[in-house]
Amino acid sequence: MVAETELPHYDREKAAAERAAIDGSCRGPVLFFAASAVCWLLVGSALALMASIKLHSPSFLTSTAELTFGRVRMAHLQAVGIGWSSMAAVAAALWLMCRLARAELMYPRILYVAGVLWNIGVALAVFGILGGDGQSVEWLDAPPYTPPFLVAALGIVAAWVVATFRRRRETHLYVSQWYILGAVFWFPWIYTVAVFMIFWSPATGVVQPIVNWWFGHNVLGLWFTPIALASIYYIIPKVIGRPIHSYYLSITGFWALALFYSWAGMHHLIGGPIPAWLATASIVGSVMMFIPVIAVAINHHMTMLGHFHRLKYSPALRFTVFGAIAYTWVSFQGAIEALKDFSEVAHFTQYTVAHAHLGAYGFVAMTFFGLFYYMVPRLTGREWANATLIRIHFWCASIGITIYFVSLSIGGWWQGRMLNNPNVPIGNIVNYLLPYFFNRSIAGVLLTIGHVAFAVSFVMNLAGWGKKRVGGPTYFVQAATTSPPVLMPY
Amino acid sequence: MDRGMVIFLGALLTCASSWLGLILYPYWQLNGEKPYQKDAADDPYPQPLQGQALAGRKVYQQNGCMYCHSQQVRSEKFGNWWDENGQMKTGADIKRGWGLRRTVSRDYIHDNPTMLGTMRTGPDLVNVGSRYSASWQYTHTFNARTFNSWSVMPSFAFLYMKEAVVGERSEKALKLGREWTVDPGYRWRPSAREWDTILIARGAAITTQFLGESIRAGDANLNPDTPEGKKRLLDFWLTTEEEGYQVVPTGDAEALVAYLLALRKAEVSLPEAKE
Repeated sequence: MVAETELPHYDREKAAAERAAIDGSCRGPVLFFAASAVCWLLVGSALALMASIKLHSPSFLTSTAELTFGRVRMAHLQAVGIGWSSMAAVAAALWLMCRLARAELMYPRILYVAGVLWNIGVALAVFGILGGDGQSVEWLDAPPYTPPFLVAALGIVAAWVVATFRRRRETHLYVSQWYILGAVFWFPWIYTVAVFMIFWSPATGVVQPIVNWWFGHNVLGLWFTPIALASIYYIIPKVIGRPIHSYYLSITGFWALALFYSWAGMHHLIGGPIPAWLATASIVGSVMMFIPVIAVAINHHMTMLGHFHRLKYSPALRFTVFGAIAYTWVSFQGAIEALKDFSEVAHFTQYTVAHAHLGAYGFVAMTFFGLFYYMVPRLTGREWANATLIRIHFWCASIGITIYFVSLSIGGWWQGRMLNNPNVPIGNIVNYLLPYFFNRSIAGVLLTIGHVAFAVSFVMNLAGWGKKRVGGPTYFVQAATTSPPVLMPY
Repeated sequence: MDRGMVIFLGALLTCASSWLGLILYPYWQLNGEKPYQKDAADDPYPQPLQGQALAGRKVYQQNGCMYCHSQQVRSEKFGNWWDENGQMKTGADIKRGWGLRRTVSRDYIHDNPTMLGTMRTGPDLVNVGSRYSASWQYTHTFNARTFNSWSVMPSFAFLYMKEAVVGERSEKALKLGREWTVDPGYRWRPSAREWDTILIARGAAITTQFLGESIRAGDANLNPDTPEGKKRLLDFWLTTEEEGYQVVPTGDAEALVAYLLALRKAEVSLPEAKE
């Protein structure tokens, strides 16, 4: 991150032409992955809403096997996990890597093959589960005939990201690139290990859940988190025109995450039939996560300090900063939640569900929304057509996830306290939870409205409805002062 | 050294450490664990599932039952609550009757997939086979609200068939009132107008049947023309079986119930499960 003043020979025109060439080279595949992600987001939202309603109104859509709660829940996780979030992560990784390496994407057409394979994989997973091939392995519910598609697609994506990095013209390595390189290396690894040990050559008994949670936790920690952090590290300085607070903290944050996050996961099996030392090791890993989280939090929030007024007009920044705040929160919460005394209550309850959604939605999805609002206009050459749609998206998403999180955290905590008391019958616990389940459906409706507004914006942009990009981007309101020049060239 | 190589090696080593520690070591420790046999004359425990129960695990798996029901009993020392005297107690799982002891890794050696569970919207099922009969399981799976009005468990009516009775009623037919079988999966109640139509057509027969039940002797003065009488008659009629139709389990429902009945972990004592 070098300020303009330190670049005496910086030629604005030439840099703009280079950026345009880079964006032009990756436009097709990045938009293909992004559009696929948005489609799966809508599918995932519909499934989520259905599952949520079923929990308080069990006779809702109950007569067909395809739409029974268990299948809809599994299909939801696949649609939003490997559909929306993962495909958005790929779009982010490709575009950020091209921009930060100052390198054009080579053979972009091969990435369409990866995109098609990936979509086939998600479609087989979602519809296969609804059709009765769900595996009941959390995060890995996809039928066993889907992983080959995903592994192949992932292989291509990882190779292209690394190849783009190797062809870099920019000598400075920005922290976002570290995270992206880590993620495209880690995710294929943990995914193939998990698929191999659970489906292709099933391990005995409880080794399966051990592998399952090693994957289930690390898919967040070593795949979604690094790419979302890469996006935050990119968007905040770009939009506010100011370098990141501390280069050294960003290195600390990266290496501490790599070391400690990978050791978390087994605390999901607390009290279960596994060796006790495994859960203990993961508790240590989770608590040590305070180090990278504090490092990243200081970096993000100190960079933002004094620039919060820009949240008023920049949609990309507003979503991204929401994501950054949610990351700090969810990680602190996660580290405490892993502690034995806490986990004995929160385990097997809606509290964990609330926590998972604060991470997967409040942090990851919100960050990717922010990135999309920044990235898509630069790829299509069109501004967002309608600021109101963006506003609807932001408020529905942020209020929705807040209701979701607060409601299920409270309900889930008391669910856990009651489950630990054998004198409280299950029926009382179910009755107690009903209003919280209902609140979740309200949150679900809000989130879905937000997603529809987002999808409409996205389609309008692709269809060329927005005005051509000549001046500044679409703001919520016009800035009082003209926005400062963007100091970070790439 | 190239910066890319630093990142690559660092990413490799950090992830490898967790892979060795959290995956490979437990794999060496636990993979291929053998059943327990106290002496040569005893049957080894656990036994692999056979036949219908094995097929039933597939039904349990494909319908995502484990997203509301765990399959593990935790130790007597796990969790805590305070009784009315303010004394701290632990071990709710065993006290709830979900198992006689905590479950250990050996209980699961034949499980594939191992559905330990992730959420307890409903009770734990690891030892559910010892708690309920087959007929309870059939009725409860068909529609859990036949037993518990508060239940939010989905109805699995799609695993049952409603068919016209040919000859005798099947032995497998669910013994449920028409309120549950007219519209499988839902609780049915006729509208006031529909009930009037039914009363005009068959009111006398229903009244006779109602009064014929010895238990209803005290209701000899029931007058189906009063609103109160009409309602009482309807409540009664809804609990009688639907004429000419029956609901029978499909093969999948039979398999699922066989699996649920075979879930009997946390019963046989194991040396490593002592607390």
